[in-house]
Amino acid sequence: MPAIAVHPDRNFKYWLLTPAIFLLLLVGLFPLIYSLIVSFMRIDMMDTDTSFAGLYNYANLFKDSRLWWSLAHTLLITAIALPIELLLGLAMAYLFLEKMPGRQIFIALLVLPTIISPIVAGATWRLLFDNKYGPINQILGWFAGERVNALWTINPTLVYPAIIFCEIWQWTPFMFLILLAALSNVDKSQTEAAEIDGARFWRSFRYIVLPAIWPVMAIAILIRGLDLFRIFDIIWALTQGGPGTKTETISIYAYVQGFKQFETSYTAAIAFLVIAILTIVCTWAIRRMGLAK
Amino acid sequence: MVTRRDVGKIGIAAGLAGSAGMMPRAAFAADGASAAVEAAKQFSGQTITIVWEAGLQSLDPLNFSGPKWKELTGIDVKVVEVPVAEMFTKIMQDFRSGAGAYDALNVIPSWMPDLANAGALEELDSYVDKYGYRDELMKIAPTYRDNQMKVNGKIFGLPDDGDVFVMYYRTDVLNDPALQAAYKEKHGADMPVPPTNWKDFDQVAALISEMNKDKLYGAAFFRESGYGNFMFQERFRNEGGKFFDADTMKATINSEAGVKVLTDWVAENKFAPPGVEQWGFVENLAAFLQGQTAMTISWPPYGRWAASYGTDQEVMSWVPKSTIAGKVGYAMTPGGHPQLAAGFCLSVSSASKNKEAAYLFIQWLNSEATSLERVKLPYALRDPFRDSHFTDPGYAALWPEAKDYLKALQDGANNGLLDLSLLQTDKYEEVLRQSVSKLWAGEDPKAILDTAAAEWDAITDKIGTDKQKAVYADWASKSGAYPKM
Repeated sequence: MPAIAVHPDRNFKYWLLTPAIFLLLLVGLFPLIYSLIVSFMRIDMMDTDTSFAGLYNYANLFKDSRLWWSLAHTLLITAIALPIELLLGLAMAYLFLEKMPGRQIFIALLVLPTIISPIVAGATWRLLFDNKYGPINQILGWFAGERVNALWTINPTLVYPAIIFCEIWQWTPFMFLILLAALSNVDKSQTEAAEIDGARFWRSFRYIVLPAIWPVMAIAILIRGLDLFRIFDIIWALTQGGPGTKTETISIYAYVQGFKQFETSYTAAIAFLVIAILTIVCTWAIRRMGLAK
Repeated sequence: MVTRRDVGKIGIAAGLAGSAGMMPRAAFAADGASAAVEAAKQFSGQTITIVWEAGLQSLDPLNFSGPKWKELTGIDVKVVEVPVAEMFTKIMQDFRSGAGAYDALNVIPSWMPDLANAGALEELDSYVDKYGYRDELMKIAPTYRDNQMKVNGKIFGLPDDGDVFVMYYRTDVLNDPALQAAYKEKHGADMPVPPTNWKDFDQVAALISEMNKDKLYGAAFFRESGYGNFMFQERFRNEGGKFFDADTMKATINSEAGVKVLTDWVAENKFAPPGVEQWGFVENLAAFLQGQTAMTISWPPYGRWAASYGTDQEVMSWVPKSTIAGKVGYAMTPGGHPQLAAGFCLSVSSASKNKEAAYLFIQWLNSEATSLERVKLPYALRDPFRDSHFTDPGYAALWPEAKDYLKALQDGANNGLLDLSLLQTDKYEEVLRQSVSKLWAGEDPKAILDTAAAEWDAITDKIGTDKQKAVYADWASKSGAYPKM
């Protein structure tokens, strides 16, 4: 047999990989690099000035109070919604850990909100919160004994609870599903042994269950944290960032700047600010959570 | 290019085959519609793509004008439905990318300076002359023709929609002797029917709400911020406000007039239905048609639907059944200068590869003959915009009060106020939308408008004060920019 057949070209595997790598670079890396270049230009609705503008757009980021407020709104929503989703998801997972009649059907029903498109969920909740046609105010009115005129998407004191409620409604099942899978894999003999030794629920959870589910839980927290940081659809459908700009998140602000006001270069700079923040936070979180091990 | 054979068919020999300069005007004895049809036959078999507002508006090209154009010329019309909020973006994206996906466009007149200056729109003067359309174009009602067609003296769009705010009021309620007596007793004067200024309007509306205790409200309005922008622009100018100091280009929306408008709005919500702050087009329509409100202000379709015109069509099943047909009066909005809110012009995309065919299609749509049919379509939302539409006996016979309706539209058109139109208008409008939204969140009117004025100034600075000043001066010189006080 000729040697070439026995020892095929060692580089052949790389040739096989080349198209896939090329495609990934084309759709992944190229837009990123192109956006970075655009962020150093001054392209907007009226001008397509592609000359090098230095740090003009990045300097403007620091003067733009609306941008920093939108970042603060994003962090506020993340800081409130994420722990609630985690705790509720965990509680629900514990509840469904034991075998019970109709368990599979309940799980399937609980997961339904997650499979709805966020924009549809937002639009649906907007209708539910509507003062004239929505059932929420009507139901509240039954309890109050008089007509309730709560303007959920306009009143500044109600709008965040409304947004966070929708967010939790839609994404808690995601946490639930992941944590249910993680809890199902915890070695029961260990928790039973702890129980026999007199450990209460909390100690058993803290020292046996949590370490066992932590890798999965950490991933779930990271995914949901990132999702919440780029939250757009549900808020856009509910309030479009209003009243005023009180619920404008960083993604909504970037969308308004880029696609409604055509501040193309400035929007690219915003995108890179977000990338920088997320890179730092993710790196810190991955190390802190021990996911890199 | 139009062939001699085509020209022969319509009996206007020698005209169409030549270039614009070679054509004798008299050659176009045919009307704009026929001329467009004959000239367009050379493009038979081609497809033109037109951007149209998604929803009801699109039923015009989908169900009526598109199929009819195909039948007459052999040209297919592909309709790209786009929500109004995304229209500008899509048009600009197509232009910037050079894709040329759209041939003809629906353009809101206040966008025209931006689109024309960016180069996204084809200048239409040469086409208008080439196809002998200028005389017929000039028969469009002066407000739309003189104010919504040109940028820097050049035609970029054919005004195609007579959008104007109209005040609708319940004649049975306002003519009720008990209400009128109560008004006289309370205010010491005869009740004006209909009210012609905001003070009277508010007094009448408040009294109706007071006398009918949750069964009938005196008035309701668009309060949702997207619509509130138009309402603010109208009322601010009726109160004597100016958007800018013409010398310095500093924003003056935080003037007394502006603060008065926002303060009055908050006060008016007390006699309006609960939750009116959230109301947009549909909520306000439903309340009026169901007889829950006695007065309102909106676009012309409300008047048609209140009279039950066209609402028996399947596509109109979402419109609540009118309980007030025959009981609706039409008038100009308080102050006498209604907003020519939004509206549409037909334009040709500069990136189009079928400019000639696209132009001929929009000329045909916009012509006297075709447009009259289109504004009468029960399901479409194009409103009368030609002098001939306002006086058409066929239209006036569509429902018993249609003649009064047409008169109100014509009066509105003659006295209407243009939407503010500058470079990057949407940025200024966005600030107004947010201001309205902040008002409903309970912020102080003066503080809201001071912030808005500062934001307007920042936008002007960024665009370039001198550049914007010139555009504003051009806009402010138009007859519909500010009321003649």
